[in-house]
Amino acid sequence: MDLFISQLLNGIGNGVVYASVALALVLIFRTTGLLNFAQGEMALFSTYISWKLASSGLPVVAAILLSMVIAFVAGAIIERVLIRPVEVGRSPLNVVIVTLGMFLAINSFAQLFFGTDPQTMPKPWPSDASGNDERINFLGQSISWAVIALALVLTAECVLLFLLLQKTRLGLKIRAVASNPDSSRLVGINAGAILMLGWALSAAIGALAGSLVAARSTGFDASLMATVLVYAFAAAALGGFDSPLGAVISGLVVGVADALTTQYVDALNGIELVVPLGLILIVLLVRPTGLFGRQTVERV
Amino acid sequence: MPRSLPGRFLVLLLALALATAACSSRDETTTGSGGRDGGGDTSQEGGAEIDTENCAVDPTTEVEGDTIKLVSSFPQSGLTAAFSEIAKGWKAFFEYTNEEQGGVEINGKKYKIETEDKDDEYNAQKTSSNIEELVGTSGDKAFAVFSVVGTANNINIRDFLGENCVPNLLTATGSPAWGNPEYPWTIGSTLAPYTLEGHAFAEYLEAEEPDVKTVAMLVQNDDFGAAYEEGFKDAIEGTDIKVVKVEKYATGANEVGAQLTSLAATKADAFFNGGTLLACPDALKKAQAANWKPVIWVSGTCISKTLTGIAGDAADGVISMTNVKDPLNPIYDDDEAMKLYREKVKQYQPDADIDNGIVAYGWTQAAILVKALENAEKATRLDVMNSVRNLDGVEGGLLIPGAKVTTSGTEDPYMGETVQRVQYNFAEKHFENIGEPVDFEGKTAKLTPKGLISG
Amino acid sequence: MTPTGSPPDRPAERPRRTLRAPGRGGGDGAAGSETGVTAPVDPSHPGAGGMPDGDQAAAFARPGEAPAPAATSPGTGGDGQGRDRVTVIRIATGVILAAAALYAPFYFEPELNRVLAQVLYIAIAAMGLNLLTGFNGQVSIGHGAFFGVGAFTTAILMVDHGWTYEPTIPIAAAVAAAVGVAVGVPALRVRGLYLALITLGLAVIFPRVATKYVKGQGGIALLRPDRSEFNSLIDGLASDQWQYFECLVIAVVLFVLAWNLVRSRTGRAMIAVRDQELAASTVGVNLSRVKVGTFALSAAYAGVAGSLSVMIDRAADGTNPILYFQRSIEFLVAVVIGGAATILGPAVGAFLIVFLRRNTENLIEGKEVLAPAVFGAALIVIVYVLPEGVVGGLRKLVARLTKRRVPPSALTAAPMSESAP
Repeated sequence: MDLFISQLLNGIGNGVVYASVALALVLIFRTTGLLNFAQGEMALFSTYISWKLASSGLPVVAAILLSMVIAFVAGAIIERVLIRPVEVGRSPLNVVIVTLGMFLAINSFAQLFFGTDPQTMPKPWPSDASGNDERINFLGQSISWAVIALALVLTAECVLLFLLLQKTRLGLKIRAVASNPDSSRLVGINAGAILMLGWALSAAIGALAGSLVAARSTGFDASLMATVLVYAFAAAALGGFDSPLGAVISGLVVGVADALTTQYVDALNGIELVVPLGLILIVLLVRPTGLFGRQTVERV
Repeated sequence: MPRSLPGRFLVLLLALALATAACSSRDETTTGSGGRDGGGDTSQEGGAEIDTENCAVDPTTEVEGDTIKLVSSFPQSGLTAAFSEIAKGWKAFFEYTNEEQGGVEINGKKYKIETEDKDDEYNAQKTSSNIEELVGTSGDKAFAVFSVVGTANNINIRDFLGENCVPNLLTATGSPAWGNPEYPWTIGSTLAPYTLEGHAFAEYLEAEEPDVKTVAMLVQNDDFGAAYEEGFKDAIEGTDIKVVKVEKYATGANEVGAQLTSLAATKADAFFNGGTLLACPDALKKAQAANWKPVIWVSGTCISKTLTGIAGDAADGVISMTNVKDPLNPIYDDDEAMKLYREKVKQYQPDADIDNGIVAYGWTQAAILVKALENAEKATRLDVMNSVRNLDGVEGGLLIPGAKVTTSGTEDPYMGETVQRVQYNFAEKHFENIGEPVDFEGKTAKLTPKGLISG
Repeated sequence: MTPTGSPPDRPAERPRRTLRAPGRGGGDGAAGSETGVTAPVDPSHPGAGGMPDGDQAAAFARPGEAPAPAATSPGTGGDGQGRDRVTVIRIATGVILAAAALYAPFYFEPELNRVLAQVLYIAIAAMGLNLLTGFNGQVSIGHGAFFGVGAFTTAILMVDHGWTYEPTIPIAAAVAAAVGVAVGVPALRVRGLYLALITLGLAVIFPRVATKYVKGQGGIALLRPDRSEFNSLIDGLASDQWQYFECLVIAVVLFVLAWNLVRSRTGRAMIAVRDQELAASTVGVNLSRVKVGTFALSAAYAGVAGSLSVMIDRAADGTNPILYFQRSIEFLVAVVIGGAATILGPAVGAFLIVFLRRNTENLIEGKEVLAPAVFGAALIVIVYVLPEGVVGGLRKLVARLTKRRVPPSALTAAPMSESAP
């Protein structure tokens, strides 16, 4: 039983990582209707920036916040310069290609500017002399501060996003633009600015996610997001691409499924990924827009 | 962005020009140095164990001109770009040899060493394309292939090179597969074969930690991991040590928490940490966090300063092995070979990280190769290959004292068989030598399960 | 949400266009967009209430400049002279390309022939993906997996069971098609972005499955049939030339097949399903058969490509965890850059990405790590400059040059934009 709980906690630990990145993905989708393949790499670059800032003496939390601001600005610029020219009336696949090009380019630049050696990210939560996370004992199990911090951040993000999107005028505008940019322009909304805002927010959330994930990991390098991305996509799909809450819950589900499979199903040793993917497939068969996604209605 | 149609087409033409640039025609013969196209004569070479009857290209033609061209293919971009540091080590050595020794002397004549390489992003098919282009399908564009990274990558080129009798020298992987007698034209480097790590650990346990009875293993889910797993299990056969659990992790994974939870739960006395890159320090940290304190062996690929730096004090006391002097170990500060290495790498490859062990490894491979070249009877592929396959106690580069390279044909095609066990000292931040070098000379073939060699 | 009634033009258009699937001359023939990869239509959005179906109606009403599909017989309308000129241009281009393709292997070095053959098999796989995504609107980022299935089928048959190479190709196609059916069935329910992600998962899982179950040389999941298996069977043709021609012949056959398919009833059904699924089903198109069938066919194409890759690359490689994901992306990029929902597009796209990548590799001396960035930048530039892909753009150029007003084309017209309220 103990082992089960341990693996469960392991799974949750990974799950909050997937959920964090999935949240950024969902946010972009929610605000702009696009799938951003470069999300992981944008997060990676921002993570390197916070690492660089933290290594130059800035306290970790300040470094992360600063990198979020930088990411915010960069995200807006990217939308305006790279995405907007493509989007106008064109096929969404073209945008996918652009994000793929960005994926390649950003990763490459990160390696160029920050080197290919693995680095350690200082931890913004209590850690012991060895650099391991402090743990909290709860109900007989010890939970790492990293997981707690990530979970807290995720909850805060979800709440703030909910409040923003559902309870503010700005949120209304965002939803309007997401649903129909042309119509919303006709109602006087500055769709361009809103789209930039969507990308900016998503980039900032990605930066936060990346930095926390790197801090939680033993070390990180340019491949930080490579493995996470697939899981994050899977989590976003499972939860429904337009549901932040779905992203978080699915991230946890995917993480736990993966960890438990590693422990208990030896036959799948090496291909544990089958389980989360199979899970998602089954869920999608039953609910084609994910667990919490909104049902779409097609008009003929 | 041009909005006009003609403007757009100019851009398209530019793209097409970029796309189709540098296509060479079939008739152009590039004046590469190296073996000449001999039309596949059967050779009456005696003495060599290599059968040259089926060579598509005659390996006994001597190099024309005074350059020997070596080509390579290794990751230079993408997620495995860190491997490109190896090349900086050997390029520095070759440049040093060219500039300061006038080149390599074979049979009384001096030859400069020219190198060319391409990026394969660790993709084995790309390696195959690259090597075919660099060597030429008639083998006339280069003399030999050197230091290709990756097991699958080398497997993908060894038959092409074997058919054309082009040497594939000092592959940058520790796979025991290069001892396969069916491919005599491919030979490994001084990297100790992975299976030997299992034996080195087993011997260490028997000698120094007789109380250890149970071992847990973490290995990568591919041939690298299989070599560790089978090598170690083979080594403990007949002893009272048992492997209680083996956990595998996906190749390239950075995080092995679930695997370590499972392994730590076994409370085994010893832990064979076959993780590489980031998985290695992660395993150490997770073991520490789980309060599991076994005797830990880490993969030879994990003894770089960055990886141990990341593991922090979780790496204190871990054991591994190496046969190249660690640039960070202060006992080598006054070592002549180390001083030469530092000086020349700074001079010829200033952006290389001289403290990085893989640069030292690259340097050493070049040194060994140059010695082998100089031992060759003539500047032909066959003689060079024979020389490399029949080295006798060659020392050079940054090989640790006591490590000599000895190969003998198909019986002992392994170069790196003397290893020094090392233990990490966290306070000093480097690995210290423990005990005397262990000599597996000539034994790798016997100690390795046949399947891993002839697969 | 009160429906505003279907756009008036549509029912009328359909009978008029008996030979073409309901097309939308929308925009300037944007390379077929996929209804899936967009925001879900949100009927509950308050802001859209009362907005007329402007976009959709406009899309139908606008004749647009959608270029005619490649190589169809001269279409309805347009001035005769322009039509002849276009046909002449087309035939001339075709002849030149054919001549180049036939002469190339005798001119270029074997290493380059290998690269050209690689272009061919990527083109085949991209064509398969084009059928599925461009013409049928189901997005897949998993065609690398079908490619891998084909490759491993061939490799396993050759290495473990001693088959000769050529008979393995149809088997590889069949096995890949079977997997395609297995994916196509759930794809009936799982749509758009979600389908894309499931297929992505496939491409990521495939190498791991291969590593687990396939044991080749050196104990790794790398199968390498003997090189001599692929030797030339014709005297006077070197092996590399023979292999190139084998790829060329198969590619031409498959492309012609695709061209015929797209112009046939089934093709029109595919396009109808892409453009407006519900409407298509009401006119009697069997949705599941068309969608699953297209999936299977496109998987078969990818499987053939994988099989050919074993001949060209002499290996089926399961050791690289990201290889099949990279292949999937390659195919998608080739389709989009070449021109989705066109016939020559996949071939052009394949050519472009292979040669672009080669030539951006060592562009910046000493900074090889930037090569992917240069390639990525090139992709972005191409997408900006030629949003309909190269073939789409070329058509427009030809139309512009011959000053002919090209009637809206069914085959390349874009379906509705995503902003329908």
